[in-house]
Amino acid sequence: MSGETATRTKSGGATIIGYRSVVKRFGNFVALDGVSLEVHAGEVVCLIGPSGSGKSTLLRCTNGLEALDGGDIAFEGASLPREERALRAVRRRMGMVFQSFELFPHLTARENVAEGPRTVLRESRAESDRRADALLDKVGLADKAGNYPSALSGGQQQRVAIARALAMEPDVMLFDEPTSALDPETIGEVLNVMKKLADEGMTMVVVTHEMTFARRVGDWIAVFDAGRIVEQGPPAQIFDAPTTERTRDFLSHLGWQG
Amino acid sequence: MIFDWSVVWQHRDALVAGTATTILLTVATMAIAVPCGIAVAILRMYGVAPVRAAATAYVELFRNLPLILVVFWAFYVLPILTGLGLSPLATGLAALVLNVTAYNAETFRAGINSIRRGQVEAAMALGMSRAQALRRVVVPQAVRRILPVLASTWVSLFKDTSLVSVIAVSELSYAAMQVRAQTFRVLEMLTAMAAIYWLLGYPQAKLTDWIQRRYAVSE
Amino acid sequence: MDLDFSVITDHARFLASGVGVTLLLAAVSGVTSLAAGLVVALLRLYGPPWLRPIIVLYIDSMRAIPVLVVLIWTFFALPILTGLTMPPFFAALIGLTVHLAAYAAEIVRAGIESIRPGQTRAAAALGMSRAQAVRRIILPQAIVRTLPAFGSLLSVTIKDTAIASVIAVPELMRQSETIAGQSFQPIEVYTFAMLLYFLMLFPVTRGVDRFYRRVAHLGRS
Repeated sequence: MSGETATRTKSGGATIIGYRSVVKRFGNFVALDGVSLEVHAGEVVCLIGPSGSGKSTLLRCTNGLEALDGGDIAFEGASLPREERALRAVRRRMGMVFQSFELFPHLTARENVAEGPRTVLRESRAESDRRADALLDKVGLADKAGNYPSALSGGQQQRVAIARALAMEPDVMLFDEPTSALDPETIGEVLNVMKKLADEGMTMVVVTHEMTFARRVGDWIAVFDAGRIVEQGPPAQIFDAPTTERTRDFLSHLGWQG
Repeated sequence: MIFDWSVVWQHRDALVAGTATTILLTVATMAIAVPCGIAVAILRMYGVAPVRAAATAYVELFRNLPLILVVFWAFYVLPILTGLGLSPLATGLAALVLNVTAYNAETFRAGINSIRRGQVEAAMALGMSRAQALRRVVVPQAVRRILPVLASTWVSLFKDTSLVSVIAVSELSYAAMQVRAQTFRVLEMLTAMAAIYWLLGYPQAKLTDWIQRRYAVSE
Repeated sequence: MDLDFSVITDHARFLASGVGVTLLLAAVSGVTSLAAGLVVALLRLYGPPWLRPIIVLYIDSMRAIPVLVVLIWTFFALPILTGLTMPPFFAALIGLTVHLAAYAAEIVRAGIESIRPGQTRAAAALGMSRAQAVRRIILPQAIVRTLPAFGSLLSVTIKDTAIASVIAVPELMRQSETIAGQSFQPIEVYTFAMLLYFLMLFPVTRGVDRFYRRVAHLGRS
């Protein structure tokens, strides 16, 4: 780990997630090789880097979808539990948005958003439907509440997916390349929803290739390469004055003009 | 209640002969039904309208009839239709062939149709004739899709040969039932019958699985 | 060839009762084999590991042994083994269920395994337990995806009821044999039976296909 500077604007808030020397292996392949990072309340932390560098793996370790092989992840002060039941309770306080949306195709948009509160939080149907409608309105899809995913565009599906995650009232939102599978025209509508969330003070960890978004909305950027963070810092540093060769290479590969 | 399992060994000759007939029926049926299936599929896809309709009607008819009924029907109708005195074995074979040809025709048609048209277009864009495109691009891919289904049809056929026992063809089921009638050793003979089918059929089922895995197609 | 179809009308009610038994046997064994197949598939996928090889052995055995043999063994041999009397319909029901449940289990398993792991992850991310995820997210999609295969299995079920004629179940095939034997007019009788079976079977696969086309999007994730 290298390249950390002192100008962290929102470090005053509580540490929501603390990654300490996280290690994850898949057979012989080391996906995460000692990753340390802190995510503070209200921060938008963006993870950038080449494909296969471990960003998505770190996200999946965060809510226990993958188990760690070494190191520790602390959520709101407590280490992630290993026991399934306790882990489920933790997952309810985190929201996750997937690259492939993963909406449930046999449920309408409203039912998708209401599914978490209904099944997991055991809310009544009326209550969860009301919550769903409010959230769909928030992401701009109030008129699509009765539609099935097959009738929605990619961008619309992803916005429903965001609403579905928000329905659980999480303390942190995890985004795993939310716009990578979208047509260019629809990327904007999803990023706008994410920016709105950020402005409202949601703590967010975002794996993304959208550098403009990371530059403008991110509070802290971590650059990954081969399972390690090679540089982390505020957007101004990473994008305008990177301190490491790897970061400069990566950005130039993307054609980043600054 | 005493069981006498030696009965099975004593009558092994009859059982072996029955098994041989079962295998013979399976092989002979497939040997005829595969080329016939290809022919019907081609007629169905590329024939003139009345031929296409007739081929489709044939396929739909035999896929929607119980085989045991076809066996009975063949037994009574074929001699009259063909004027020949057919042995039960030949009649049974005819019924099986009619049935399996229909399934094979559908398999071949679906296999060929499943190759995206873009493949043929790409081949012809390279300068191949349509015949070359079919031969070098469509058929090899279609074979990959068709082979697993044929293997599965084979295993079903192997089991279906048991149905010709109802017209006294001496395949395995009939042979076992005869011994049972002679010796009154019901449990022993019926269990032996099931066991022999299991011994023959289990490896075939596993082989089919292997073929499915090997030729699995992912788009 | 002189055909006299009055033999059909003379015995219309007898043959109709056969159709009734065919449909009843098919319906009941359809339901029981589906239920049993579902249980077997879920046990195989989510149950204790030691149970898995036993289930696989059962399923593969049913792929190897003909229905005729299963029915005959159930009707003639099982009573000897257990000392129970076995009415033909009941024996046919048991035999068909045991045989078809293996196929149903394979269909369910294939359906469940065809669902993207992302769906399970999304359900887990919401905090669902595995039971909740299977019940509310996986199974509904699997049911939609397996409709064509189950339509096919229903067709097979109806055809297999005809084999129950061998153990004296008074379904359509058996009734036809009786009339054909009595009247010495097998051609007319069996031709009519073919017509009846075709009318029963043809709509099944067509109907399932059409229904599936309308609901297929509910299973596409």
